[in-house]
Amino acid sequence: MNRKKIFVILLLAFAALTLSACSGQPLTNTWPGLAADAERAYLATGSFIYAVDLKTGDQVWQYPSEADNSLLFFATPVLTEDGQLLVGSVGTTHSFISLDPASGAEKWAQPFSGAKGTWVAPPLVMNGTIYAPNTDGFLYFLDMNGKQTANPLELGGSLWSAPVTDGELLYIASLDHHLHILDLDGNPIGEPIDLGGASPSSPTVGEGGVYAGSFNATVGFVSSNGEFQTAAEASNWLWGSPAFDNGVLYFADLNGNIYSVDAATGSQNWGELKPDGPIVASPLVAGDQVYFGSENGTFIALDRDGGIVWEKAMGGSLYTPPVLSGDTILVAPYQAEFALAAYDASGKQAWTFTPVKE
Amino acid sequence: MWQTFIIQPMVNLLLWIYDILGHGPHMFGIAIILFTIIIRLVTWPLNASQVKGAQAMQELQNDKEWQDIQKKHAKDREKLAQEQMRIYKERGINPFASCLPTLIQFPIIIGLYQSISRAMAATPLDMLNLARTLYPFQNIENIIPLNSTFLWMHLGRPEGIPLPFEVSFLPNGFPLLAIIVALTTYVQTKLTMPATPPNPSDQAAAQTAAMSSSMSVYMPLMLGWFALTFASGISVYFITSNLLGIIQYAATGRANWNNLLPGGNKKNATKK
Repeated sequence: MNRKKIFVILLLAFAALTLSACSGQPLTNTWPGLAADAERAYLATGSFIYAVDLKTGDQVWQYPSEADNSLLFFATPVLTEDGQLLVGSVGTTHSFISLDPASGAEKWAQPFSGAKGTWVAPPLVMNGTIYAPNTDGFLYFLDMNGKQTANPLELGGSLWSAPVTDGELLYIASLDHHLHILDLDGNPIGEPIDLGGASPSSPTVGEGGVYAGSFNATVGFVSSNGEFQTAAEASNWLWGSPAFDNGVLYFADLNGNIYSVDAATGSQNWGELKPDGPIVASPLVAGDQVYFGSENGTFIALDRDGGIVWEKAMGGSLYTPPVLSGDTILVAPYQAEFALAAYDASGKQAWTFTPVKE
Repeated sequence: MWQTFIIQPMVNLLLWIYDILGHGPHMFGIAIILFTIIIRLVTWPLNASQVKGAQAMQELQNDKEWQDIQKKHAKDREKLAQEQMRIYKERGINPFASCLPTLIQFPIIIGLYQSISRAMAATPLDMLNLARTLYPFQNIENIIPLNSTFLWMHLGRPEGIPLPFEVSFLPNGFPLLAIIVALTTYVQTKLTMPATPPNPSDQAAAQTAAMSSSMSVYMPLMLGWFALTFASGISVYFITSNLLGIIQYAATGRANWNNLLPGGNKKNATKK
């Protein structure tokens, strides 16, 4: 091979590299998914899922053992009653896998790979059925061994959030601006409800229906018979799910405003509250406090009157909803010095976890 | 700076076109095609200058005086270079005229690629970034999410026509678009290839021809691989861009159609 040919190949390789990876980041990238049981936290953060001991903050296992571009995990892992940890991949193979929460070993004979799109949304598991929404716009129905039990249901748009249930019905939001109501067998009930904007997060179960935020800056209440009414308004996109607790809705928008609204009357409980930058993550309600994480990397604990109890600057951006396990509050910042941190309700940090780079 | 001056205007133009088309099914694909045409029109003078420069260089290879100095100074590289520079100067030829526009276009091509990728917003972070990229006049609530359906494709995913049987190395099915990308790239590259120099002693021209020949093999393979691997929206861009390139070159009347046939290159050269 002469020098000219080598030059051409190198030039093309450079072009390929530039076109596919100019930003220096993986082609697919987003913020991590986080879940926890009583013993471990499970962090899905790109090439690996990490299990972290809640007492010590030490890594228990990682999956897979070596990075593999066909497997990329950002969806929130889901723990099942029969001892599985379910998580889908946004990698090239679109695998949906089951792991042993204790060891990280694969539990199914083979992953489910029948979806055309990637897995951004976590599944809902109920009565032995896995309801798995995919970015291809289909809802997949699997048994607890990862086998399809029915034909997937096309809902349209791209499905980025887990279905929720009130025990009788399933509610699932789509980026195509609609909320779908299904029975537990997956049959649609009525027509999809127009939310007025894309809805990237799960709706929140309330009394007699669900609350769903959307990009048109409103929280809509959709009753179980499919009637829509505006429950609250914000000043910008609503990305995270609203929290509903004791008849009060807590939510925040991309302008950084935090709201507390009486769900029955629609009246605001607080005056204007904008403690930091844009807020994407869903809030966490635990005890007397409500927790919010901002894009600027500040984690804020508020009392029920909107007073700031404590706040921590973590670095990075807080897009992942905080998770509660016992008395421990887990926070997973995106692109910070550490990947996971544990706090108690007073704001005392118990530990931080940083994956060991191989 | 790259974001502000390249990516942001391009993404906004692309999504503005999509918005005025009515953001229904197939409209994002049409928006990509119109967007590529607009960018091609804007960069038309650069392309024209590149074509003109390449033609001038090609004509020079068949020029008697040029061939004579190749023979005369075959063993004296320094003298040959001096004589070549003299001829360039006398005839007003810029030897870099054909490659400089390509270099200038390179950021535009990368910007196009990144703009289309960004507009597809495949993950939550992509969507958040896209929202920040759009100018205030954009009808953002209605635009997002994009309707990525185009003909039989989902523009956010690699293309493939389902096969009645499984082929392990074709997980998405028959890669029709990737084949069209590779073919149109091959045709475009071949059309712009110079004829084989009649004078074997003209080493520089022979090397240029060898390089072009390599490009005509590796370039289609590389872009075909891109089409096979990446979102099909990018393939729509490649095909549109290739077809426009072929049309533009054909419009100059200097396209070497014989190059498309096996041995056509030599036949073409012999004719001259």
